[in-house]
Amino acid sequence: MTSQRRGIHLDQSELLCKKGCGFYGNTGWQGLCSKCWREENQREKQKQIQEDWALAERLQKEEEEAYASRHQKAQSQPTITPFSKFEERKTKEKSSKVNTVTKFFTPSTKTPSKKDAFEAQSSPSPSSSTSRHSSVDSDHATREFIDFLKPLKSGREIFKQCRAFTESMVYKRDMAADELSECVQDFYQNLSDRLHTQFKGSSEHVESVMDEVEKYMMTRLYKEVFCPETTDDEKKDLAIQKRIRALHWVTIEMLCVPVDEEIAEVSDSVVKAITDVIEMDSKCVPKEKLACITLCSKHIFNAIKITKKEAASADDFLPTLIYIVLKANPPRLQSNIQYITRFSNPSRLMTGEDGYYFTNLCCAVAFIEKLDGQSLNLSAEEFELYMSGQASPQRPQSTGAASCSPGSSALGQVHERLDLLAGLGERQEQVMEKARQLESDLIDWSDDVEQKVQSVLESFPPETQNPTATTASGTTPAASSAIDSDNVENEHLPPPLQPQVFAG
Amino acid sequence: MAAGGTGGRTYSFKVVLLGEGCVGKTSLVLRYCENKFNDKHITTLQASFLTKKLNITGKRVNLAIWDTAGQERFHALGPIYYRDSNGAVLVYDITDEDSFQKVKNWVKELRKMLGNEICLCIVGNKIDLDKDRHVSVEEAESYAESVGAKHYHSSAKLNKGIEELFLDLCKRMMETAQAEERLKGNGASQSASSRRGVQIVDDEPQATPAGGCCSSG
Repeated sequence: MTSQRRGIHLDQSELLCKKGCGFYGNTGWQGLCSKCWREENQREKQKQIQEDWALAERLQKEEEEAYASRHQKAQSQPTITPFSKFEERKTKEKSSKVNTVTKFFTPSTKTPSKKDAFEAQSSPSPSSSTSRHSSVDSDHATREFIDFLKPLKSGREIFKQCRAFTESMVYKRDMAADELSECVQDFYQNLSDRLHTQFKGSSEHVESVMDEVEKYMMTRLYKEVFCPETTDDEKKDLAIQKRIRALHWVTIEMLCVPVDEEIAEVSDSVVKAITDVIEMDSKCVPKEKLACITLCSKHIFNAIKITKKEAASADDFLPTLIYIVLKANPPRLQSNIQYITRFSNPSRLMTGEDGYYFTNLCCAVAFIEKLDGQSLNLSAEEFELYMSGQASPQRPQSTGAASCSPGSSALGQVHERLDLLAGLGERQEQVMEKARQLESDLIDWSDDVEQKVQSVLESFPPETQNPTATTASGTTPAASSAIDSDNVENEHLPPPLQPQVFAG
Repeated sequence: MAAGGTGGRTYSFKVVLLGEGCVGKTSLVLRYCENKFNDKHITTLQASFLTKKLNITGKRVNLAIWDTAGQERFHALGPIYYRDSNGAVLVYDITDEDSFQKVKNWVKELRKMLGNEICLCIVGNKIDLDKDRHVSVEEAESYAESVGAKHYHSSAKLNKGIEELFLDLCKRMMETAQAEERLKGNGASQSASSRRGVQIVDDEPQATPAGGCCSSG
């Protein structure tokens, strides 16, 4: 519009691009030259696009949030439960399927078991991955067993007996665990006696054969006899797991563990020991489970030896093992102990080195179960407090570093931070208190000043500079005088214009 | 329990080492099995489970010695350790009256839980510190006799009395095992079940002759 009007008085400068680039502008391009217009226009467009995007995004997000919150409220509880139930059902289904698979195939083991395993593998049941795995295992065990027995003159006989016995065990599924154990142990005993007398083996030889027998049988029977439903092993597993979790606060000092985790090599051994004792659960054969415990014990001895620089005695070993078990919280601990007790070769448990470490593990578990304040040099009240989680033991600050595995050092830091935070909170409280006081002081002060002013005013009523004004306006001398004093400039103003009458 | 079978078979014995902490259980067994005392050049990783092979009157014996944690708070775990053991070595410090009292408690408990089928040795250790003795020889020996145990004096530091005590213990355990076998009638299949310790009823009558053997041997 304006340019239109200006166009009338054509000015040379007005024709140029507004950007001052030296080219001529065009009104259609808002007074810009073509180049500048394109630039300007593009930027504008880009900006527009970006804004649009942002808006769209925001809207979508809002919508999603609204949807999600609505959905969550409506569905959060029910969705989780049915899913977990579904999971549960699925695992149940799986296990039952596994059972049926084994049930279906194992009794028919007249044919070599290898074929069985193969059939089980190729069976189309999709959820039989565990059974497939175990049949692969038992298949492998069978093959190894056969290979081992081949060079022995009585190998065939031994294999036949073992297989027959293993098969017969399947029918005894519903027997109590102790009876199953009895059966297996009797079988071990009979077989080893036969080996001694009939086949005239040396005791070392008999031992090695018995090891293989145990391996073969237990690999095949593992699923049936480990943590069987007829026992409350599982309940005990959960109980000890919970117990160990509740005892998370127990420190190396309370147990008097002669291990200094500050030393890298020691903490390394400790970690290895923990790994070993956890790994026990993954083995099938009692002997292999025992080997895990033995390995764990060796690592413990190593840790003690490095710390104390002398051979570890039982006085050192047991507390350390307890500490390791508390740290590791091994899965299915009770089931594993029961399984080993029931199905291991008895001579190994009674006099062997493995047996000694296993016994110590049993002791550690028994100690953990019965643990009370007294055994940790704590008062009963302290123990209760720690157990209920109402308090956590004060970390000895001076030796705090000594008890530092990576985990406990982190814990130490957390404690430090907490202390710091508590300190800060206190100080903030103080600051707030002071601030409030300052505020009230200020209010008091201003009140005070006001009062003083008031009192001063009352005692010395202000005298007006203009006595005439006082007398004239009477009741409001201050106000009028104030107005007058405000208008001091008025004196400099020219006199107000008077309407003039022009004659004519 | 003892894997004592027919004549040529190797005997396997389990021996538990009981006693308060610091009485020298570990030194005793280290000295016996490795002939070491306070060795700075340690090659032994641990001294809690040690084995020793012996040949006694032509019979091979495998001795497994189980050390136990002596701290008071682990006392309750004792039964788990001494279950199925053939012998127990109860060690006290002759300069420490309390440690002897502990031994008495152990004896009571062992006799109650295992009867007479376990061979007991009471050992007064640290006789190199005889000038600080607080447990009199007479008292200790008469007590040992009263409970059907044998009493020994030893010094792990001076390597005194240790060899003898274990040898003696082995002989007694062999006799106990043989007596057990005789009672069972040498049946291989029967000795079988004894390993598992299932026939508790059978064991009871045998306990008496076994105990007699202990006190006499």
